[in-house]
Order: sequence, then structure tokens, then C-alpha cells
Amino acid sequence: MSTIGFLALLSIAVPWLGAAVVRLLGDGRPRAQHGTAVSFALAGAAVAVAMIPRATGVGVLDVPLGSAFGRLTLLPDGLGVFLAVVAEVIGSLAVVFSVDYMRGERQLGRYYAYVLFFIGAMVGLVLSSNLLLLFVFWEITALCSYALISFYNDDPKAVAAGIKALIVTQVGGIGLLAGALLLYAYQGSYDIPTFLATAGGLPPTVLAVMAFGFLVAAAAKSAQFPFQTWLPDAMEAPTPVSALIHAATMVNAGVYLLARFYPAFEGVPYWTLAVLSVGTVTALLAAVMAIVSTDLKRVLAYSTVSQLGYMVYAIGAGGLFASQFHLLSHAVFKALLFLSAGAVIHAVHTRDMREMGGLGARMPVARTVMVIGGLALAGIPILNGFWSKELVLEAGHAGGPAWAWAFMLVGAGLTALYTLRFLSMVFYGEPRGRLAAHDAGVAMQVALVPLALGTLTTWLLAGPFGAYLGPAAGAAHAAETTRRIVVQVATAPATALALAVVALGLAAWWRRASLSGVARALGGVGRAASNGFGFEAINRGIVRATVASAEALRTTQNGVLNWNVAAILAGLAAVLAVLALGVVRGV
Amino acid sequence: MIPLSLVASVAVLGLVGIGLFGLLVTRHLIKVVVGLQVLVKGALVALVLAGRITGQVQVAQSMALTVIVADTIVSVVALALAVQVRRQFGTLDVRALSALRR
Repeated sequence: MSTIGFLALLSIAVPWLGAAVVRLLGDGRPRAQHGTAVSFALAGAAVAVAMIPRATGVGVLDVPLGSAFGRLTLLPDGLGVFLAVVAEVIGSLAVVFSVDYMRGERQLGRYYAYVLFFIGAMVGLVLSSNLLLLFVFWEITALCSYALISFYNDDPKAVAAGIKALIVTQVGGIGLLAGALLLYAYQGSYDIPTFLATAGGLPPTVLAVMAFGFLVAAAAKSAQFPFQTWLPDAMEAPTPVSALIHAATMVNAGVYLLARFYPAFEGVPYWTLAVLSVGTVTALLAAVMAIVSTDLKRVLAYSTVSQLGYMVYAIGAGGLFASQFHLLSHAVFKALLFLSAGAVIHAVHTRDMREMGGLGARMPVARTVMVIGGLALAGIPILNGFWSKELVLEAGHAGGPAWAWAFMLVGAGLTALYTLRFLSMVFYGEPRGRLAAHDAGVAMQVALVPLALGTLTTWLLAGPFGAYLGPAAGAAHAAETTRRIVVQVATAPATALALAVVALGLAAWWRRASLSGVARALGGVGRAASNGFGFEAINRGIVRATVASAEALRTTQNGVLNWNVAAILAGLAAVLAVLALGVVRGV
Repeated sequence: MIPLSLVASVAVLGLVGIGLFGLLVTRHLIKVVVGLQVLVKGALVALVLAGRITGQVQVAQSMALTVIVADTIVSVVALALAVQVRRQFGTLDVRALSALRR
């Protein structure tokens, strides 16, 4: 077996092995559990980093799994290895952070086992080149996220949030499964590279069904409109898990799916427009909801939804490089934001920002790193979020309609506004409550500082990153250097416009007192936003309808054997009748 | 002379029909098991017949053997349940078991 094949297999196996070991250690030995989880997570990260220089465009590791499942093949190409590295490295930092955050919790075995299982499944998802296996890994990540969101399983809100995440992502999973089965029916295998090379040979309707099925799957997984409601609810999870779901795993899967299959679906009528519209609507809606939310983690969750909207928008506009580069930036600064928010929440024991304020003086480390992450989120030069967001906007300007571009500009301004709002509500101003605060612990700082440094520097990788993604990023960016990308972004007129909008967003926060008339005029929008724009009501309606129809169907289950046999006979007769009719007509 | 496949076809239809009819009309748990047995034996003959027609005799044989094993287990478990039902409810009438009904 080649080195890269071995490493690819190891990058899935190491976290999974760690999950088993942590679970078997038993909850009586918390120190050993912390140590084991951290060492396996870091080993996985090391394996993933070792894969970077060995990425290859050909499949490795070809194991037959029997006729129904095709072959287990892994494809560690640029795109796959990149996402695997994001999952393992950021995931391992979240595990390190957990050492402080989860200290003293019971059931550490369950916690760490699911976290490591989650990371391994995500790596399998992005490295697999067999569509059916991709689906299997996809569902494993959904199950792990459910188990982790509901980690505090004596809290009904946490359990409800976990079930919601599971159900919503299952809806998407159906789209993916339908696509996989269609692919098998028409291609005779689940092989993704074959499909990407020969997608034109499939009937256009089949390709369209697959394309939109995958869009539904990606939207559900990446919390895009109209499936965005599960992600903010998932905030009931322990904060490192939120960082894991938002930055390292899970939500990246949807963006990955769209980017991976973009070459095949590009030609499907209206598909790129649909992708672009979903991204635009999501980015705007979520940004507005982030402005009115008062729960620190919910603000961050809405900002994730909004930034994922930017990535999806970029894919719709054909800017694969921009979307993946924004994914990298976002993974780093959002992990930073969530973990520093975790440090704050751990210190003050509340998530309500109305009770915070003035915490900065007492938590200097947490404040410094969170401000760095926040400025990156707002798109302030020269942090990584600025460059990648400008690239996204540039790609949208070049490849998408003007209205979407204008909306995304507005979204950038709103992002700056809500970022400044939550930073000042948490760290600055007068303390609004009497909260005991202490700064981040040692393990927390060990996880936070590398992420802060990454937020300051990952944009320097733009050029090599474009070359690394290679064909997946489109030929345009393959030969660019960081220097040329930087000059190109810095001199583009769109950048000045975007910066002006961001500055406007910042100014809106500073001058909020004098804008109170505007705020009152928009009060209705604010109220609608804090109610999630009514999507909750729609969800509840769907649940009620499902339960009602299940109750109605219950009457057919009378438990009398004779009736059941009669129903079977009736069904048999119906099938025979259909077949007989078909034979008569010669169909 | 009557061809073998015709005999087998008639046997299949007869056994499956009798079995289904038994399941349809009886309320006695032991008779349910008997009906099920007759039905499955019909299905067995159908499997063997199908193997003969398609020429895949070995596949049909292995499937038939599997069915025999599974069917035996089903009967054993069902009869054991019948004993328990008799002890719990004092009757073997399946209507006593319809606890799913509200």
C-alpha cells in the first residue's frame, strides 16, 4: 500500500481507535480519559498534516465490499485532504480546549468518544470517493452531532435540539441517498471520479434530480435556507462541541458536497442560480437574526449560518477557490470565536449577553483573542476573513447577478454591525450584572493562541492554497501567487465599496443612539427576526401534521390476525391485477 | 403422463391457498401455526420449482434449506409463545392478544 493510502486510512482509524479506547477506559479515571483523548486527537492531526504534501489525484486503497456496496476507495486529493486537515487540526484544538471546559463533568467517556468518532467520520466523508460510503459517513456525522448536541441528556431543551438536528439533516440525507442510488442505476457504480468525468453522459433529467437532491442535502447539513433552524438550537451542546460542529466538521460537509460535485452539476439549468439564491437569502436572513439575538452562542451560530451562506453563494457564482478559502478562514476564526466564547461562558456561567458587559478587564486573554476573531468575522483588513470575504464578493461580482451581489454587500455591513454589537456587549461598557469572572485556563489558552495566530496569518497561504486545490478550484486560480491575489484584491474597486459598507456597519453601531428612529422603524423586522422569521412555526406545523397522520394511520393497526392476512391477500391481488393488466397491454 | 412441473404448480397453489385460508379464518393460535406451516411448505415447493425452471438448482436448494431452518425456528418460538399465552390469558383465541387496539 502506498504511503498516502496508509495515511488516509490512518487519519480515519486513529480518531476512531481513540474513541473506543476512551470509552473503554471507564468514567472512573478522568485524567487518563483527558490524556487519551488529547493524544489521539493530536496524533490524528499529525497524520492529517503529514498527508498534505502527498495529496494525489488518483484513488488509493481499493477494497471490494461486496456487490451491493461497490469498492471502498479513498481519494486524498487537494480538496479532500484540505477538509480532512481542517477537521483533524481544529477538532484536536477543540479536544484540548475540552480538558479545561469539561473538567469535573461526569460521563467524559461518552463525550470524548463521540467527539473523536465525529472527527473520524468527517475525515472519511471528505476522503471517500465512493458515493454510498460518503452517504454512510454523512449519516455517521449526523448521528454524532445528535449525540453531542443532546450531551446534557437530562435537559429537555438539549434533547429537543439534538432530535431537531437529526431530523433536519435526515431530510437532507434522503436527497443524498436518492442521488447515490440514481448514480448506481445509471452508472453501475458509486465511483465519484468516474461520475465527475462522465456526468454529461447521464440523461439530463436524472442529472437535474441528482443536482437538486444534493443541493437539499447540502442545505440541510450546512444549515442553509430553509433548513437553518437546527444550528442555533444546537447551541445547547457543550461549547467545544459547538466549535467542532461549526468550524471543523458537520457544516463544512454541505459546502464540500457542493464544491466536489460542482463540475458535474454546473451545466444543469437553474442549478447554479438556485445555489446562489440559497446562499444569498441565508446570508442576509441569518445576519439580521444575529443582530437581534441576545444569547452569545446564538449570535455566533447565526453568524456561522450567514458565513456559510457566503460560501454557498460563492459556489453558485463559480468561485470554488473563494468558497473553500473562505471555509478555511471561517474554520479558523469561528473556532477561535466559539472557544473564546466558551471561556467566557465557562467563567460567568451564563450565555445571556445582557448580563455581561465590562468583562474585558478581567479576562484579557479571552478578550484579545475574541476581538481578533471578531474583526476577522467583520472583514477588517488584514485578518484572514477580510481577504477571503473579498474573494467571495469578487467571485460573485464576476459570476453572479448584480442583485445577489448587492445583497451580499449589505450582508457584509450587517456582519460588521452584529460583530461589534456582541463584542461590546460582552467585553466593554459598564458591567450589567455581578458576575464572577476568571480568565481562560491553561488548556484553553493552548487551544486559543494557535487559532488567534492562524486568524492573523492564514491569508498568506492564498496562493499555495489555490495551487493545492488544483483542478477542483478551477483553472483560473491555479497559477496565482499570494502576492498577485493580494494585489488584485487590494486594488479591486469592489473592495473599496465593501470596506465602505463594513465601515457603515461599524458606524451604525457607534451612532446607534442617534439612529434610534431608524431602529424603531425597523422594529417589526427585529421582532420577526428574533422569532426566527416564523420558521419555527412552520417546523412545528410539520411536526403536528406528521403526528396527526400517524395517529390516523393507527386505526389500521387493529392487531387482529385475520384482518392482517386479508390485507396481505388484498395487496397480493392488487399487484397481480396490475401485472396482469400490464401483460395484456403488452407494456 | 402429467408433467412434473404441473404437479408442482398445483401443489404450490394448493398449499399456499390452504395456508392462507387457514390464517384468514382461524382464531386458534395452534391452528395459526399449522396454517403458517402449510403456507411455508407451499413456498418451499415453489422455490424448488423455480430452481428447476431456471436451471439454478443449487441456489434453489440452498434457499430451500434456509427456509426450512428459519421456518422451524418460527414454529418453535410460536408454539412456546402459545404455551405462555395459554398460561397468561387462559385461552388460545388470538383476539385476546390484540392489545395494540386502543
